[in-house]
Amino acid sequence: MSAGRAVVLAAAVIVCVLLGLSAGAVPIPLREVWAGLWHADAGAAVIVRDLRAPRVVLAFLVGGSLGVCGAALQAMIRNPLAEPYLLGLSSGAGLGAVIAIASRAGGPWAVPIAAFLGALAAVALVYRLSLVSGRRLDPHVLLLSGVVVGSFAGALMSAIMVLSDAPGVRNAFLWLLGGFGAASWRALAVFTVYASIPLLVLLYHARSLDLIALGDEPAHHLGAEVDRVRRVVYLSTALLTAASVATCGIIGFVGLVVPHTVRILFRPLHRSLLPLVFLVGGCFLVLADVVARTAVRPLELPVGVITALIGVPLFALLLRRTLT
Amino acid sequence: MACPIGLAPSLTAHLSPPGMGGIISTMPLRQRGLAKLLLVLSIGTSLACGRTPAQRGSIQLVDDAGDTLRLTAPARRVVSLIPAATELLFAIGADSAVVGRTSYCDYPAAAKAVPDLGDGIKPSIEAIVARRPDLVVLYNSGQNAAVAGRLRELGVPEIRLNTDALSDVGRVAELLGRVTGHQRAADSVTAVFDTALAAATRPARGTRPKVLLLVWEQPPMTIGRGSFLSELVERAGGENLFADVTASSGVVSIEAVAARNPDLIFTTTEGPSSFASRPEWQVVPAVREHRFLRVSGSEFNRPSPRAPAAIRQLAARLAGVDR
Repeated sequence: MSAGRAVVLAAAVIVCVLLGLSAGAVPIPLREVWAGLWHADAGAAVIVRDLRAPRVVLAFLVGGSLGVCGAALQAMIRNPLAEPYLLGLSSGAGLGAVIAIASRAGGPWAVPIAAFLGALAAVALVYRLSLVSGRRLDPHVLLLSGVVVGSFAGALMSAIMVLSDAPGVRNAFLWLLGGFGAASWRALAVFTVYASIPLLVLLYHARSLDLIALGDEPAHHLGAEVDRVRRVVYLSTALLTAASVATCGIIGFVGLVVPHTVRILFRPLHRSLLPLVFLVGGCFLVLADVVARTAVRPLELPVGVITALIGVPLFALLLRRTLT
Repeated sequence: MACPIGLAPSLTAHLSPPGMGGIISTMPLRQRGLAKLLLVLSIGTSLACGRTPAQRGSIQLVDDAGDTLRLTAPARRVVSLIPAATELLFAIGADSAVVGRTSYCDYPAAAKAVPDLGDGIKPSIEAIVARRPDLVVLYNSGQNAAVAGRLRELGVPEIRLNTDALSDVGRVAELLGRVTGHQRAADSVTAVFDTALAAATRPARGTRPKVLLLVWEQPPMTIGRGSFLSELVERAGGENLFADVTASSGVVSIEAVAARNPDLIFTTTEGPSSFASRPEWQVVPAVREHRFLRVSGSEFNRPSPRAPAAIRQLAARLAGVDR
């Protein structure tokens, strides 16, 4: 990557973060944002420090993580439609959340933890189903297992929603639709510590992903341990996505479109694709969150709605420009 | 991604246009069914009293979905699938006519003795018909339009009503009084309600305590202006923190709550429970200082003759707020 591009990207990240800190239900001018960040007694300190700063950083990390997961899965399955939620994860998480609400589980963390466990259960089931003859993870079987496990969890979720008389069980969908309204420094700290491990593992395997993208046979001849890399990549993306669902619900589209956009714009190898996707995905989600909390002030829109509304037209333009 | 299936049906119930019944009501089958019913009824009554229904002063009214209901005689077997309507039917003395209710119809206690036909949204037509009703009262939502059309096809009279605001209490009481032949009792219920409501209402003067109406916690959802709970709080001398929201409910950010700094946070026992211990909520002083107004009881769920009592209860709590 050229130095010029690096400067542009760094500038984009800074602009997005500043915009994220300044815009919101209550617009705060940049000068006050600055004062609020460094002086606890400044007027805007409470909102900027305790609410917006963790929210913006969390949105950036989640956007980056989802982008990296999507890029890695697309390479690993060799399917451009692959995305982090394809493999039964979202329905598993949804099932967990609905069970927690329907059983009136108490405590402030019951719903996110249940969603995380639900996603992990779905991952474990899909992984077990996709292991062909002991140790090989077959991409085709993986896709199909993901779809059937997702359908099964979705059916259970619908059944519970219809049968449960717990108040608010229908609001589970609002939670699942995603948003960063519940961001706090504590949630951010937990997510950062947890997410850094799968993220580093994925970055470490970027070269192998470049090889696998060529095909199993050539990858094998060039020295990649195809089966092992597949398992590691799948489990890393699944664990990372499960954490992001537990933190902020299901935010579609970032993991699908950001990797493709970066490929079209920069045409990089996976070694630089993954870091690039992380930065672009982070910026994209921070911007989408800004729109989500300012479009219909003082109400908030689910951020997943915004990612699709902004992302689809942008991506369509990009596709047409590339094809013609 | 299986996420958007039936996205928050409780919300869509409010958002769906009520006009769906219009399409169904033009179906010839239904008209045939209704005509047959009218024929049977008119033959029956003409045989019984030797007069035509028109001369006897049959009951005719337009419901909130815009459909016309015609009855030749007061309804004697009513399936009431709105908790607020069930409560009013009992209040106007039509309790012996109620032969079906929703699972949520819990007031008065005697209502629980009536057979439970489910939750009232998209109810089972078989369960309704099995009660042999001569009138079905449905909530006027898009999801109930198909049920209403099907009932009319089967020749079962139905009305769809909105019971969302305080102004609906008297209106619906009068309407139910007419269809059940308890008009006098309905008049007196309405008069008593209007007087009690006026007496319970605090004049809107000076600075009023700002109340956050928190109905769900993840994500934080509040109630907008003009909704029932908002009306109760305003009449009790409080101010809805999000009175500028015109939607019946919506998701708000904690940031907006913090910036508007509520004096009190209103919750119900069915609603938020553990938000107060989450770190991100601590920026709101009312949360840190545990200034909560937690109510229980179905008088806070639906507009009913009990609303003035609910307002007095709220007013007593609001008066104690130290500002």
